Amino acid sequence: MQQLDNQEILMKLKSQKQFWDIKKKIKQGFSDQQKIGINDIQKFAQSCEIEDQLIKLISHILKKSKKRETLKEDQIEFLNTSKIKWTELLFKNLDIVHQKAKNQEEDDTNTDSKLYIYDEKNLLAFLQTFKQQQPSVLYQNVQFQSNKLLNINIPLKSAQQILDKYQYILLQEELPEEKINKIRKQIENEHLDTELEKIAQTYVPNGERCLLYLKYFEFDHQETVLQQNFAKLQKECSNQLFFDELLEIDGHEISEDTFYFVFQEQILTCLKCFIRDKTIKENIRIQLQNGMKKEHAEFQLPVTGFFPFKNISKYVAPLCYLSTKIHIIYALFKEFFCRYFCFLHAISSEYNSILSLCMQIEEIVSTRSPKLFHHLKVIGCDTLKLIIHQLIYCFVGDMDPPHILTIYDQIIGHDSLEILVILCVGFLNKYKPKLLLAKNYENVQQIFQELREDKFQELVQFAYKQ
Amino acid sequence: MQNKKLKWKSDFEKSVIIENFVNRGWTKSQDKEEDSSDWNVYWATVWNVRNIFNPKSGFRLNDQQIINHFPNHYELTRKDCMVKNLKRFKREQDKETYEQQGWNFDFLPTTYVFPGEYSLFVEEFHRCPNQTWIVKPAARSQGKGIFLLRKIQQLKKIAGTTVTSNMTQLNLASKENYVVSKYIDNPLLIGGKKFDLRMYVLVTNYKPLKVWIYNKGFGRFCNEQYTTDVAEIENMFVHLTNVAIQQYSDKYSQKHGGKYSIDALKFYVESAYGTEAFQKMMDDIHNIMLTSLKSVQAVIQNDKHCFEMYGYDILLDANLKPWLIEINASPSLTTTTPVDKNLKLNLINDVYNIVLPNDDFPDNEQKQQQITKVGGFSVLYDESLDLMNRKAQKRQSVKIWK
Repeated sequence: MQQLDNQEILMKLKSQKQFWDIKKKIKQGFSDQQKIGINDIQKFAQSCEIEDQLIKLISHILKKSKKRETLKEDQIEFLNTSKIKWTELLFKNLDIVHQKAKNQEEDDTNTDSKLYIYDEKNLLAFLQTFKQQQPSVLYQNVQFQSNKLLNINIPLKSAQQILDKYQYILLQEELPEEKINKIRKQIENEHLDTELEKIAQTYVPNGERCLLYLKYFEFDHQETVLQQNFAKLQKECSNQLFFDELLEIDGHEISEDTFYFVFQEQILTCLKCFIRDKTIKENIRIQLQNGMKKEHAEFQLPVTGFFPFKNISKYVAPLCYLSTKIHIIYALFKEFFCRYFCFLHAISSEYNSILSLCMQIEEIVSTRSPKLFHHLKVIGCDTLKLIIHQLIYCFVGDMDPPHILTIYDQIIGHDSLEILVILCVGFLNKYKPKLLLAKNYENVQQIFQELREDKFQELVQFAYKQ
Repeated sequence: MQNKKLKWKSDFEKSVIIENFVNRGWTKSQDKEEDSSDWNVYWATVWNVRNIFNPKSGFRLNDQQIINHFPNHYELTRKDCMVKNLKRFKREQDKETYEQQGWNFDFLPTTYVFPGEYSLFVEEFHRCPNQTWIVKPAARSQGKGIFLLRKIQQLKKIAGTTVTSNMTQLNLASKENYVVSKYIDNPLLIGGKKFDLRMYVLVTNYKPLKVWIYNKGFGRFCNEQYTTDVAEIENMFVHLTNVAIQQYSDKYSQKHGGKYSIDALKFYVESAYGTEAFQKMMDDIHNIMLTSLKSVQAVIQNDKHCFEMYGYDILLDANLKPWLIEINASPSLTTTTPVDKNLKLNLINDVYNIVLPNDDFPDNEQKQQQITKVGGFSVLYDESLDLMNRKAQKRQSVKIWK
């Protein structure tokens, strides 16, 4: 990792507004004095917390200067092998999809709309196959428990740790106007990501959410650059890719959603630019697929390094509420995906990964709601199969946009996807009485087909009920 | 009257009305005669209400009857009458006093009523040669007969004969009036498409004025991307938001029906434009509702048997400024999606919870109770509170004086 020398740190400090605010404060503190020594400055800085502010600022600069490497190799070797197998499977799917698309072109009456490379069910089914592997040296650290769908020996937090971490949400009350105004001012003045995270954990006023996100991702003074980059990508969209067709089909579901149909064109534009964006491969926190180049393959992975999947539109949709400017929406979507949502599609032992989140959910439900857990298994509807859609797509389509963006706030607030574990557990607990009466998978499907309204705070509350 | 089953009558075979009445345990009036009086609750067409209140009909409503229109509602809901009353009201107001109260009249696009104001229109038309105008029949609905105008010659559609710019009067082919307004050609677009808002307002009394506003409504979206291209001026799928028109577009979706909830819209405006801009927009919308109702307060026949639920059509421009398009006396109760049905079912339910609390005709004491929220309705304005405050202040000042 790149280390900064003192000169470089000073240069970066000088580019921060906060540095000049601190300097101004110190100058004001010594306005009458003519002779000022280093000890005087130090004492003054300690007395009015300027020293703390400066330390935080320097830590922030050092943290930001470290270029985060994309995680490519997992500590558990068999997951690396599995990633390769998963990618091979996706290449095969791509061939099938391509053939289907050709057939549809030739035959208008063939309206098979399953033109996607993979969906959340495919991913879960693949993760399940880990259990079926023959014992070998590769799987020495694997322990399979028969009652759970997934159980691999990867570092996991305890159920209690996760529940304790988010318990503060239960105590959150509606804030008076004064406090909300104070938070607004904080967002306007704050630059440090640790402080912005604290705000995101507590409460983000709707009118300031976009600003908070832009500041957190350090885009707040870069609008021209974002606009130019987006314009370049838009130009590239004039060269049609096969994946564009898949994105158009994917957009169809969003175009039927009462909350997102108005943004249909914007969502599609963002996604078409996304799959052409070469910077994603270097910015993404984790490699999704291990792109084995097949011989004679007509199609390769897009420049992003991964295939677009079913419902990818859902990740863009809620962000359309935050700005009228498409380049801003795109920048936010790209950042959210590269930092967080990528983990939902990566086969990895990382704590944010889909594997880890699934196992956390199974752990909590099996220990805190064993009756429900067992009943769902008996009727052929495992807990994870029930919840995988909500988990992978962060409840988009299940909750109204304000609640989805509250989820996004919490994701930023903790730099983690763990809030999804809490919400999934809450979701299952909310529908537990009806689920316990279900006799089969069809009954379960009927329960979720009824008009329902799931809310963020409500699901959190249900998560803590037993 | 309590525990007595009310009898209902409806001129509309709409599930949201009938289900509401049936769910309350009310019985349907069995009298098949159109002019029968054997009912307590009547959801009537505007024409039947006009007949009922026609002195020649000899009909007199009793204390146990309630109906959903005021006798001369058209003063507000006919486009030409609405314009006439708003213009008159504006002239009558003292500008300073009105502005002090934070109200304004700047929400009606420049409008002329044909045939009477044709010559005034021609003058304005020549002053603004690049202006597009929108022509609407005064008393029709669902977008019928509406067209956009850029050349005087286009008025041939309604004149039946050639129209030239040096004509000083316009003879219309039919007897109906038309309103011609400056077209708001910079509407607020979401996803590149034009939309307008349908919001619901309930008036339970005009003197004193009591107005309830409903917290649910929707934006009605066009199916085509908006453009000011002259070549698309006749493309109604670009310009007219009426569902009755948009449902014929190839891109119409049965799932959402082009309807975008007002909650989602409010959230979008607040998130994308900021809280202050959102608040101003809402204040301006409320101003439109109150000013328009106040403008007809003196002319509407206030009858204790009447209430009216209006559908306000409001267009937002690119600066988030709301413009009043029209006010509907019989907003559509047809439901196009499950969400739409849920909204309208609850809407009618809440209307009757207000006008017939506990399914009973409220006495004077009950009417004066200061309930400000019922279901999705909140009181937007209650003039009786102003009057009470003024009386209290007068009493107070008299006390002080004594």
